[in-house]
Amino acid sequence: MSADVQFASLPERPTAHTLPTGGKLAAAALRFGSLLAFAAILVIFALTAPYFLTVGNIGNVLGQSAISGVLAIGLTIVLIAGGSNVVTGGIDLSLAANMGLSAAVYATLIQLGFSDAVAAVGALATGLAIGAVNALAIVFAGIVPLLATLAVMNVVAGLELVLTQNTVLPASTDLLTVLSSSDGFGIPILAYVLIGFTIIVTAIVQFTPLGLRLYAVGEFPEAARAAGLPLKSLVAGAFVASGFCGGVAGILSVAYLSGSTTGSGEMLLPVVVTALLGSVFSRRLVPTIGGTLISTLFVGFLINGFQLLNLPSTLVSGVQGLLILIVVSATTLLRKREV
Amino acid sequence: MTAAIAPTRSFAGLARYGLIIALVLVFSLFSTVAPTFLSVGNLQSILVNNFTLLAIVSVAMTFAVAAGGIDLSVGTAVDFASFAFVSGILAGLPVPLAALAGLGAGALVGVVNAILISAIGVSPFLATLGTLFIGRSIQQLLTDGGNPVYLPPSGVPAAFRFIGHGTVAGLPVPPLIAAVIIAGAALLFARMRFGRVVLAIGIQPRTVRYSGIGLAKHVAVTFILASTIAAFAGLILTATVTVYIPSSGNGFMLNAIGATFIGTTFSPLGRPNVAGTVLGVLLLSIVANGLLLTGLNFYWQQVGTGLLIFVVLAFSFVNKKAVGA
Repeated sequence: MSADVQFASLPERPTAHTLPTGGKLAAAALRFGSLLAFAAILVIFALTAPYFLTVGNIGNVLGQSAISGVLAIGLTIVLIAGGSNVVTGGIDLSLAANMGLSAAVYATLIQLGFSDAVAAVGALATGLAIGAVNALAIVFAGIVPLLATLAVMNVVAGLELVLTQNTVLPASTDLLTVLSSSDGFGIPILAYVLIGFTIIVTAIVQFTPLGLRLYAVGEFPEAARAAGLPLKSLVAGAFVASGFCGGVAGILSVAYLSGSTTGSGEMLLPVVVTALLGSVFSRRLVPTIGGTLISTLFVGFLINGFQLLNLPSTLVSGVQGLLILIVVSATTLLRKREV
Repeated sequence: MTAAIAPTRSFAGLARYGLIIALVLVFSLFSTVAPTFLSVGNLQSILVNNFTLLAIVSVAMTFAVAAGGIDLSVGTAVDFASFAFVSGILAGLPVPLAALAGLGAGALVGVVNAILISAIGVSPFLATLGTLFIGRSIQQLLTDGGNPVYLPPSGVPAAFRFIGHGTVAGLPVPPLIAAVIIAGAALLFARMRFGRVVLAIGIQPRTVRYSGIGLAKHVAVTFILASTIAAFAGLILTATVTVYIPSSGNGFMLNAIGATFIGTTFSPLGRPNVAGTVLGVLLLSIVANGLLLTGLNFYWQQVGTGLLIFVVLAFSFVNKKAVGA
């Protein structure tokens, strides 16, 4: 009996009531505001850049976004399970380096004469191993994720350099040819890969009990613990999953660039931005896989539009920065008004 | 309970000195592996080449971390300061004025952060990430897509050369500047009200807010201070190499985070502190220099540094268990 009473009183009535009504409005305003902004930018580009609205170009953007999209989805899983605090919670700084090393492993195995299957397994295993190291460091050694993944990032980036001697390793195989080709409509296969990958991960994260538990662990760790959820395994699993995404992105990048190249670290901050921005496109302003996909495409279309309009690409990072600041400031101000 | 205290205490003691033990271990390792490591010339090179700039940027980072945040834009402040300093010198400004312009440009980054964090309430991570991105764009726009800005090596004023290569009583100027900044920061945290408030904000922001201490004001000043301190690194960097290279300051950011948190994990209560940060920087600089001397492939050096940070951080596991946090 007493347990029932406790549970009944657990959801705090006042906050549960006031936040949704007002909060819903604010969230809706922000969500539709950002969707409107997205739409407005698309319309502006469609009107000003001649080739923007062609099937080929849209497919191109999807294809070009595949690598960063897969990485951002991996980071989103960590964001969901780790909670919103970026220092102590969900962040995986080793993701971009992971992609670089996985790509290097793939290309090296191909150059050594192994088959596509072996190389792909090697790349995925590399990603998984990096994820496992992160998981061990964070869950069992208790190192703050920001630091653990920072150290792992250094090691992984170093290993990539050791393996490739900082050179480009060309690779071309049947699998890579398929991945880097386009279908009859001129849409790159990578675009389908991104969509397919998103659907699979969305199905797992958004529609299974496992996904719900990840959210529970991230948002209310104490409650999740009290409810008997295996907190450590779930958080560890999220980091392993993110490592796996790094491996997948590695294979995609080998296909996209016809080999492994250095400089994968450059991807890190844009991917972090994409994943953080993604929560704006969700109903409750939490990280979701779908939101991350929209945010990836948003950034992709932005870069594409800039290219088509011959605007300096140097502006892209500035616009990305402005976007985060506007979006996050708006979120914060809207929430403040509620309280 | 009581039975567990004795071994716990000794563990805590070990962990408290863990950073110093790690330093001694690394130091003795390299002095045996690399014969030239212990030479005066090399020790001086560690101080001037590896330690100085990272120490200044890390002290800046320590301020942000002490206030419970993080400053990803310290590198941007370094770059802005560097660019403004170089531009000032090129425009023929007297060196002190150009240096002031540099510091001002660095501080500007902090002002933007302060507005975002204190006035709007954006989380420091996101706010400084935003300024980092925008700062990168601004630099590329100012330099036609990222071209370095050179100063004629022969034509620089003597005072400019002095900042980078001068000596006072036989000691090189850059480490002296770093020493002054470190001492000032340490004093601020140990002896002054401002430092105590900043630390309190990092631990219990609500308590600070409810005690009627100007939380927002203190956070704002902290982030402006952090950028201004980082700007000093920009001045020294430029004066040493007489060139401005866009986005070169960002290289310091991740190492500064590493150094600051190494210091934090090893402090008795797990708090950010200047001494710990400086020891963390020292550890990173010695490892970077030592690995270079061992003649290891440059790429293995990065692996080595990463592994070492990793091991040192894993040590904090013992510390945390001991403190009971």
